[in-house]
Amino acid sequence: MKTSETFFDDRREMILFVGTASVFVLAYFVARALLESFVMETWVRVVVVLVPIVPFTLFLLTLIRGIRQMDELERRIQLEALAVAFPLTFLLLMTLGLLELAIKLKPEDWSYRHLSPFLIIFYIIGLVVAKRRYQ
Amino acid sequence: MKNRLKVLRAEQNWTQEDLAGRVGASRQTINSIETGKYDPSLPLAFKLARLFGRPIEEIFEADRDGTPQGGNEQ
Repeated sequence: MKTSETFFDDRREMILFVGTASVFVLAYFVARALLESFVMETWVRVVVVLVPIVPFTLFLLTLIRGIRQMDELERRIQLEALAVAFPLTFLLLMTLGLLELAIKLKPEDWSYRHLSPFLIIFYIIGLVVAKRRYQ
Repeated sequence: MKNRLKVLRAEQNWTQEDLAGRVGASRQTINSIETGKYDPSLPLAFKLARLFGRPIEEIFEADRDGTPQGGNEQ
């Protein structure tokens, strides 16, 4: 367990956390650029889609290790952040599902890849709400 | 739940960070306990009690009806 400083204050942990996340985001955009710019065999396209999973797995392992190093209040804050983010994500998906029935949604306007920024925003909202509660 | 953590810590001339390091918690946790915004788990309360050499009930005091007040009440 970490002592006297939060997980996010630990410089080494933050470098690992941000580093693995950055590699994943980079891999995602490289994969997206390749898929949008080049004509490839179907199996190659699927491989390109799956490549970002590797850096994401590293990011996930860093995240899990970080959570295990957190103390009880930090874990509680993370839990409350997710408790806010999850219903908001659910609401977004349900609303999009209904909207899809109501009007024609174009894939370039709304698709799965447009959802990820909202998930991050929802998590940050949850984190801010939870942190304020215990400050 | 009220507590005397701030007073006991001051008696030892410890900073919040010192105390956090001694019980394996973060400084934020100690601060939140001292300000009554977070009630510690039983293991952490026991650690604090052992550290100050006092029974838990001398450090933490529940309200008359036994329910916590403020902080992370359910």
